[in-house]
Amino acid sequence: MTEANLSAGNGNGSPRIGVYVCHCGTNISATIDVVAARDVAENLPGVVLSREYKYMCSDPGQEIIKDDIRELGLDRIVVASCSPCLHEETFRNAIADGGLNPYFFQMVNIREHASWVHKDIKAATAKANDLIRAAVRRVRFHRPLEARRVPIDPRVLVVGGGIAGIHSALTLADAGKKVYLVEREPSIGGHMAMFDKTFPTLDCAACILTPKMTQVRAHPNIEVMTMSEVVEIDGFVGNYRAKIKHKPRYILEDACVGCLECIDVCVFRNGKTPDEFNLGLSKRKPIYIPFPQAVPQVVLIDPEGCIEFRTGRCKKTCVEVCAERNAIDFTQEETFSEVEIGSVIISTGFKAFDARRLPQYGYGRLDPVYTALEVERLVNASGPTEGEIVLRDGSKPKKVGIIHCIGSRDKNTNVHCSRVCCMYSLKLAHLVKEKTDAEIYEFFIDMRTGGKGFEEFMLRVKEEGVTMIRGKVAEVYPEAGNTGRVVLQAEDTFLGMVRKIPVDMVILATGIEPQADAEDVRRTFNISCSTGGFFTERHPKLAPVSTFTDGVFLAGACQAPKDIPDTVAQAGAAAAEALALIDAGHIELEPNTAFVVEEECSGCKTCVGLCPFSAIGYDEGKASINEVLCKGCGTCVAACPSGSIRQNLFEDEEIFEEIVGVMANV
Amino acid sequence: MTTEPMIRSESDRDPEFAAWFTSLVEEEKLRECIHCGVCSGNCPLASHMDLGPRKLMALSRQGFAEDVLGSNTIWLCTSCYACTTACPQQIPVTEVMYALKRRAIETGKAPSRHPVPVMAKGFTKMVHKRGRLTEAYLIAGLALKSGITRYIGMVGVGINALRTGRVSLKLDSIEKRDELSRLLDAVDDHSKEVSVR
Repeated sequence: MTEANLSAGNGNGSPRIGVYVCHCGTNISATIDVVAARDVAENLPGVVLSREYKYMCSDPGQEIIKDDIRELGLDRIVVASCSPCLHEETFRNAIADGGLNPYFFQMVNIREHASWVHKDIKAATAKANDLIRAAVRRVRFHRPLEARRVPIDPRVLVVGGGIAGIHSALTLADAGKKVYLVEREPSIGGHMAMFDKTFPTLDCAACILTPKMTQVRAHPNIEVMTMSEVVEIDGFVGNYRAKIKHKPRYILEDACVGCLECIDVCVFRNGKTPDEFNLGLSKRKPIYIPFPQAVPQVVLIDPEGCIEFRTGRCKKTCVEVCAERNAIDFTQEETFSEVEIGSVIISTGFKAFDARRLPQYGYGRLDPVYTALEVERLVNASGPTEGEIVLRDGSKPKKVGIIHCIGSRDKNTNVHCSRVCCMYSLKLAHLVKEKTDAEIYEFFIDMRTGGKGFEEFMLRVKEEGVTMIRGKVAEVYPEAGNTGRVVLQAEDTFLGMVRKIPVDMVILATGIEPQADAEDVRRTFNISCSTGGFFTERHPKLAPVSTFTDGVFLAGACQAPKDIPDTVAQAGAAAAEALALIDAGHIELEPNTAFVVEEECSGCKTCVGLCPFSAIGYDEGKASINEVLCKGCGTCVAACPSGSIRQNLFEDEEIFEEIVGVMANV
Repeated sequence: MTTEPMIRSESDRDPEFAAWFTSLVEEEKLRECIHCGVCSGNCPLASHMDLGPRKLMALSRQGFAEDVLGSNTIWLCTSCYACTTACPQQIPVTEVMYALKRRAIETGKAPSRHPVPVMAKGFTKMVHKRGRLTEAYLIAGLALKSGITRYIGMVGVGINALRTGRVSLKLDSIEKRDELSRLLDAVDDHSKEVSVR
């Protein structure tokens, strides 16, 4: 096809095209001769008018387009500027305001595709000309289209029942939305349930968390699924379907009232299995409840420890005592269920760094060495020692060393700062000092107390007589002479000397890492991870709880290490984003769907099986495409042997004209 | 009691030395030190060092060449690599120590009678010249140049070593010594151009 016969018009009549070349300040005009580009465009067939302007996206820039449409009767618009991701919507809206169908528009990206990636002005300008020519040729074939409106399912899936998930779920449920809260452990509560006090105000973690856990249990809009994991999700924003795996608890959740009598009568007189909630510092029976305030208040059976599971010859005293309610069911198996939701909040939390990875600190090898999370349990009144700080040998510590940055700020483990360890170390220093009056040494590299009331808290702990030593401990080793103590060897960098300090107890301030299976979660929900393995937000400043997948939001430490106040703030933000989506009622989707030209369809069904979104049905000998489900991937268009499937915005003539335009000078 | 000046003025800094130092390791890694002190804390000889590795590197980065090259720290380093393996910033401290030792010797800042640089110089000189070491002469040279009195107590050990054939008085060397010399000179020239890693 030559330019001459094109100018004679096409099926859409003789289009009157306006071309607008944007300077983008100097982002484009420094590398592309925008005046020359305008002149070239002016002489393309069908072009009535061509302009260049400093900022096309500005209000005056948009006004120019609207005025030209009205005054010159333009019916096709081409804007050569930045990426359509940024301003396609801006210009479509302007064109609609001007009285045209917004899809009589083609955007040309001469910034990301030309000015930003080239240095040679002449070559970059030539490339811009080619791209503009392609758009001018294509836009003549555009047809009037309408955006698809898809309703939003108001139900929300919250993945992870720590404080982030709990807060998101409650916010949404209070706003009247149905929430499915999925938690893989037997109880919600997450790490926060394990803490004793919270910094810097020292309010008791359980006192502020458990009321929220109870609210979750009682809330008519929240369905809690514990011992469950999301294994599969499909659909798109507003219309997701999630498949959830439920691990067997061997207890009928609805029948169990949490009387705990079964635990008392278990044939094991004492616990034999390390208690997960107390990090192995105590033992539990094979039938147990994770912790006293667990939600749901339902016991569970660990088949690894239960005699009935191991031998099948247990007296089953638990079943006897539960005869009235009959809640114990040894035959339970893994089950799956499906939920339909419109949006997802991911709040899968973190994993504490495994201190065994740094053998120089002796964790797991030297008895006096504990991790911070273990000490939280030791200090806690419902912990393994009922709040008494006693060492593994039964003695009370007189000298305690706290080592910061274990598994943080270290290229051999994690480069990032875990953000919470300085403050929780100071908190533990205070709590241990309060309970034992021990002499306490804090070994820090940099004291990071940026937060409301944090610096004041550090000063308070200093006033209480805790010794601060600037320097990371290099090695922990047993003191000579079998004293049971260990020596901390570190350079006191303020004094410029190496010091050796024998202590009775060492607390390792272990850092925050992504969950071990964060990669699986990332894959399931089609979101992305940063290099450290934490989930990536859509924009670090302006979209901190959104992801690159519409309708999937992030909250809490799965996105980056953060403390409880920040986690709760983020959880609220994620809930608000989900609410904004839900209350809009519907979303508009690109009308780039495929459609069947019925007269030409031979009913061969090739397309039906190929569609990745199951959007193609078969009706009276013809294929039919459900345009709500169609995502515009184009697979069926390419596969149809009779060429009877076409796609909006990607019609054959549009694509071929674009190619001809780009190749005109080759 | 002598009083060391504890103040340093900007004129004490040698920018060329600082630039040379930071270029020793790629990607300016030496600037990434977070001063955690694990290198000094791990060093088995830190107790005898005037500076220790952390301070030594801090002074080097700032260009205080006199303090660095005149310190005993570089000569006490036994290259056990304890600092390097533990460094959270993965700084090759031991390699940097070697570079500083070489620089001290090349610029004449090495203490003239300290046994470590004397031994190092005697060792390389003998290898360069003869291609083999003859310990008896190496030790004799060390004793003469670093103060013979401190070796008097070890004479008995020396005699025993000679008697049992552990060391020999026969000066050993290889054939084609000039070829080895040329080879080693070429290596020296090359190593001046590349960083420690």
